[in-house]
Amino acid sequence: MRHRMAAAVLALVGLLVSAYLLLYKLGVVGSLRCVGSGGCERVNTSPWSSFLGLPVAAYGVAGYLVLLGTAMYGLRGDQAGRPQATRALAALSALGVLFSLYLLALELFVIHAVCLWCSVSGVTILAIFALSAGALRKPSRAPAP
Amino acid sequence: MTEAGTSLKTFYLVLGLVAVVGIALIVRAATSHPSAPLVMAECGGPPLGAVPASGQVLGPDSAPVQIDEYSDFECPFCARFAIVTMPDVRQRLIPTGKVRWRFMDFPLQGHVKSPVAHVAAACAADQGKFWEMEYALYSDQNTWVEASRPERKFLEYARRIGLNPDSFQVCLEARRPWPKIEANRCSGEKLGINGTPTFFINGHQLPEPTLAFDDITRMVDSVSAATAAHAPARRR
Repeated sequence: MRHRMAAAVLALVGLLVSAYLLLYKLGVVGSLRCVGSGGCERVNTSPWSSFLGLPVAAYGVAGYLVLLGTAMYGLRGDQAGRPQATRALAALSALGVLFSLYLLALELFVIHAVCLWCSVSGVTILAIFALSAGALRKPSRAPAP
Repeated sequence: MTEAGTSLKTFYLVLGLVAVVGIALIVRAATSHPSAPLVMAECGGPPLGAVPASGQVLGPDSAPVQIDEYSDFECPFCARFAIVTMPDVRQRLIPTGKVRWRFMDFPLQGHVKSPVAHVAAACAADQGKFWEMEYALYSDQNTWVEASRPERKFLEYARRIGLNPDSFQVCLEARRPWPKIEANRCSGEKLGINGTPTFFINGHQLPEPTLAFDDITRMVDSVSAATAAHAPARRR
């Protein structure tokens, strides 16, 4: 259960970061607080900051919402000891990790700028994946007689 | 209380804390205004840092006809002129050498997004791309006028037209060209302008603000013919 709690907190962090980036993209937030000389803004105003007509950050918001919902569902009493929620978390976060790697490659090799907040999101999704995959590898405890 | 119950309570506490802190930081970022607001000064007041009115020029200084265009980036008539007529002026009239065209900033009172748009255009001028930015601002006027942070859109235009985005952003946030824009606006106020676009041909204000390209060429031909006719007379 602890890994689901940690995944829920991490998903909330990712959700907030994605919401911040989305609000910037929509013009609600004026400028991004970022380390370095404008890498965050360069990435988030580049043509690659949209994917299939939607801001990339919108996919982040949707993805983290699903992860948060899944983790919270896994914390319900009737889900204790059942692996389904953990499997779903591992599968969803694996997709997120792949998408984050694709975005990182764009930053490094195409845009030539690194966005700190995108990296925070990337580390967050990687941590959720590591926690869930690690929990799946552990032998599940036998139910109490 | 059981160990699981205590653990769940701590979890909800941490989750709530993260949510509150995160939302507070986002709200703070959304409501903060790092750049100084642009205030239009009284033109009759103290001189604005002794900055002369200048404008953005196309065409040679030796051209017999000078056209001054006083324009506001939030004005829809100015946008129509910039999109429909100005490309012809640039491509067909300016190369003849007959005209020196001067764009003069005239952000109107009440057009709240216009001042920063004029700053964006002047920042593009610093990198030699005023006319490209002018066209971008007018052709996408509806978008940035509706945006709560038009600077975002201006940065996109800056990238699209090939400006150095970092220098552009520094210029935009510092509002560096604002005194020059104010000087241009005040030069228009002194001329009694009260709407945009307003055109002057060799110093004479045109009564009709919405000019078609054919009207402009007709006037330019007429003024340059009159100038040519007077020139030999002056020499005699």
